[in-house]
Amino acid sequence: MRAWHYTPAADFGLAPGERVKCVRREAGLVASLLLRLFWALVRLYLRVWHRIRVQGLEKLPRETPFVLVANHTSHLDALVLGAFLPSRLRDRVYPISAGDTFFAKRSVGWFAALCLNALPLWRRKTCARALSELRERLAAGRCGYILFPEGTRARDGALAEFKPGLGMLVAGTSTPVIPCHIEGAYDAWPPGKQLPRPRRLTLRVGNALAFNGLPDERAGWEAAAVEAHHSVQKLAQRVTCGGFPGARSPSRL
Amino acid sequence: MNTIERLFGWRHALDHPVSLGVTVSVGALLLLAPLLIALVNRLARPEERLRRELWQRYASWLLIAPAVMLPVLAGAAWTVLAVTALSLACYAEYARATGLFREKLLSALVVGGILALNFAALDHWYALFAALVPLWAGLLVVAGILRDRPQGYIQRVALALLGFMLFGAALAHLSLFANDANYRPMLLMLLLCVQLNDVFAFCVGKTFGRRKLAPNTSPGKTLAGGLGALLLTTLLAVALGRLVFAGTALESWPLLVLMGVMISVLGQLGDLTLSSIKRDLGIKDMGALLPGHGGVLDRFNSVLLAAPALFHLAHYLLPAVGHGQAARIITGG
Repeated sequence: MRAWHYTPAADFGLAPGERVKCVRREAGLVASLLLRLFWALVRLYLRVWHRIRVQGLEKLPRETPFVLVANHTSHLDALVLGAFLPSRLRDRVYPISAGDTFFAKRSVGWFAALCLNALPLWRRKTCARALSELRERLAAGRCGYILFPEGTRARDGALAEFKPGLGMLVAGTSTPVIPCHIEGAYDAWPPGKQLPRPRRLTLRVGNALAFNGLPDERAGWEAAAVEAHHSVQKLAQRVTCGGFPGARSPSRL
Repeated sequence: MNTIERLFGWRHALDHPVSLGVTVSVGALLLLAPLLIALVNRLARPEERLRRELWQRYASWLLIAPAVMLPVLAGAAWTVLAVTALSLACYAEYARATGLFREKLLSALVVGGILALNFAALDHWYALFAALVPLWAGLLVVAGILRDRPQGYIQRVALALLGFMLFGAALAHLSLFANDANYRPMLLMLLLCVQLNDVFAFCVGKTFGRRKLAPNTSPGKTLAGGLGALLLTTLLAVALGRLVFAGTALESWPLLVLMGVMISVLGQLGDLTLSSIKRDLGIKDMGALLPGHGGVLDRFNSVLLAAPALFHLAHYLLPAVGHGQAARIITGG
């Protein structure tokens, strides 16, 4: 008789405090329930307070793996990107967030882990190892990431260069990268403000990109970052030109 | 004793001499242990790692002992609540270790089964409890089909059934005990014997142990440790049982010896059961919640098999566990 194959939780054997900060963290039953509840509230909040519109909803991924990338101007961004994914993927979608902002304080770390399912990436310390762990995890296929490749919220609201870290996750793999653009978040809740104002938000989802042709080395990483940046920028430009198909009758959600 | 007093009557906590004795001795041990550890450190001068582990274990015991004893002493309702929490904690560790937690439906149903069994115990509805075990097992077997994905069916359903039987059905017998007016001394005796059984096996094994008991399953356990624990635990169980079961059919010496042997042997087998699970999975501890011990399961594995056995021995011989107490206190009827 062939032996069974077991796959313990990837973060198995860690103390609760270490688990929160672990990039291999997997949600259990309680965490899954919490996530579903929290994200249902997020969706409600975005609809009521920000009257959110989504263009290209059908282009959001229905299956893992994937990486959602977007411009980053506000803490609202991760909520906007995550809120409209299928809820059965809820416990497998991980916003990649700055370790020093979200995981330095214990209480904030627990919130980020339990409610947002966020994984920490430490900006100051070299995060190469963490990135390669994240890449492996993505390649295994059971997760999707929400990533802001600018590395931080743009203090002036304008789109900055993308860091090659995105490429380190996906170059040479067939994992789809979905470029998105979020409009209005800077106006609603810019860095430095205490609370979000009730401004309208618009999420635009672009066509998926694949980077399987790129080599998994610096040149490939940078090429991926440039291409993703270009796609997000194009989505942003459609806003200013107003030429986006369907822009006249955006689907209210 | 009326139902409310049984459920919440903390004033009766120390009525029975065994409850009083166990509480006082455990309290005294916890107070004296630091002195003993300091003495061992001074005299035997163990290496740094062992020294730290001793203190860690002690710190964990400071947490475990009150967490176990206070609910039992406080009342039957708290006892059932604590057993439910223990069952869920054990299942959570097991599910994460085996990977079963990724099967959300099956996992949720095992959790539901644990809650249902403990509800039946709290309600003092024995017929429901007895019915739930096979029926819920059937439910798990059916739930495994639902996603129309036969690959891995046997593995995931078998894992769910094993989890349900060990951490649901077996542990919930601790809750069933709570229906008896005299549940405190019975539970305290069982828990004390089972935990000391481990300590006896460890100490005797360290001192006299040469032949390994089951080297592939658990390399640390020795035959001498097992036999020493059998002797000492049986003596302890007989002494305590004499007081706990005074005036009942279980009072006779042969039955008390049988009970003691049962507790010791099943305690050790429960330990080996978990060792087998861990060996098969290729892991050392079931978690990291209790420093020095590992997970909750690493501490409570030896209750898994002993609890149902002692319950049914008592239930068969005592007229019944819970005799004379109101039944179906929540559902009525």
